[in-house]
Amino acid sequence: MKDQVKKWLESGTVDIFLGMKMVDGHPLPHAFTLGNISDLEELVPGTVRYPLETFAAELAAENPDARIGLAARECTQRALNVLSLWNQAPTDRIETIKLNCCPSPLKEHAACSYLDPPEAGLFKKHFGIDNAADPEAVARFEPRERFSRWMYEFQKCIKCYGCRNICPVCFCEDCSLEHKDLIGTGQLPPEAPIFHLVRAVHMAGRCIDCGLCEEACPADIPLRLLYRKVNAVVDDLFDYRAGEGEQPPPFNIIGERPSLEPKPMENGSACPQR
Amino acid sequence: MTLKRMRFLQEVLDFVGLGGRLHMEWISSAEAQKFAQVVTDFTEKIRRLGPNPLHAFIQPDMILRPRVVAASGLKSTAAEKEDAKGSLPFTGKQ
Ligand code: SF4
Ligand code: SF4
Repeated sequence: MKDQVKKWLESGTVDIFLGMKMVDGHPLPHAFTLGNISDLEELVPGTVRYPLETFAAELAAENPDARIGLAARECTQRALNVLSLWNQAPTDRIETIKLNCCPSPLKEHAACSYLDPPEAGLFKKHFGIDNAADPEAVARFEPRERFSRWMYEFQKCIKCYGCRNICPVCFCEDCSLEHKDLIGTGQLPPEAPIFHLVRAVHMAGRCIDCGLCEEACPADIPLRLLYRKVNAVVDDLFDYRAGEGEQPPPFNIIGERPSLEPKPMENGSACPQR
Repeated sequence: MTLKRMRFLQEVLDFVGLGGRLHMEWISSAEAQKFAQVVTDFTEKIRRLGPNPLHAFIQPDMILRPRVVAASGLKSTAAEKEDAKGSLPFTGKQ
């Protein structure tokens, strides 16, 4: 990878390359350029993740001519896809070097910080929701219990906005989560479940399931699980999966009107009786 | 599109345990009877579901509250309702 980056920088394929650099034993995001090409020695792939695509999008917006290289995982590719669909990143100016990450039956070795999540404690398993559970398992609790479990999780929130800040596909200038008419300000925990549901709804058709939010959350709230469910519903109703293909997302109402045709409904009734 | 969006919201709310409390129906201005019927049915449904469980959580001591609810065995609805009635503005009349 180092050689390739060096070649890219020297030949001008890219002006900047974003990757992780080992600093005092910690991998940190770093911009490699021709000017600091000796830093390439410390370029590391590793398991540590950071949404470098967020930097890439910002750099690209600030420097309309710059060509940007990126060490990209599979989630990075999906995030770039989403960012480009929302006109946030000029993918024609962004080159990627693929990293070995998500495991598959064909490729057992994988490097990702998500692969080794901490196990949920007994209390959390009993009263909250295990981050490793799948949405179907959560849906099997009866509604009252489900509500209590989610509320147990939500009320731990310290409103650090870490989930939003780390998210590669959260790019809005004005965030609803900070809008005082939508979510009460100045109180902890934030208005639950509104705070988390607003974010969940905004991730519909957008979240690329990288899990960075859940990793960043100091309160260990199963955010990824919630957004997974939200996206499963989007897939069900709109036949849309974020991060794949060229279709604009179904909830995209910026600019032109939404163009995605809804999928026909099976039972024809407006509201399912639950 | 609106139908789908409502379906979407219904499913998300259901997933966090607030299912069945959102309803949408197309009613023409000429369909007074249908309107009355739909409102009556939905009111009945909400009554069966009981008061919004959210109220039990919106309290100054919110941090402790869910733990209390959780620790009380999750399903002790009657006791919890009694408890909520005394301290909350919205649960008095049902
Ligand atoms: S998993 Fe979390 S951080 Fe990743 S795209 Fe979805 S909401 Fe954003
Ligand atoms: S990262 Fe966790 S604690 Fe921080 S705002 Fe998001 S949900 Fe709340």
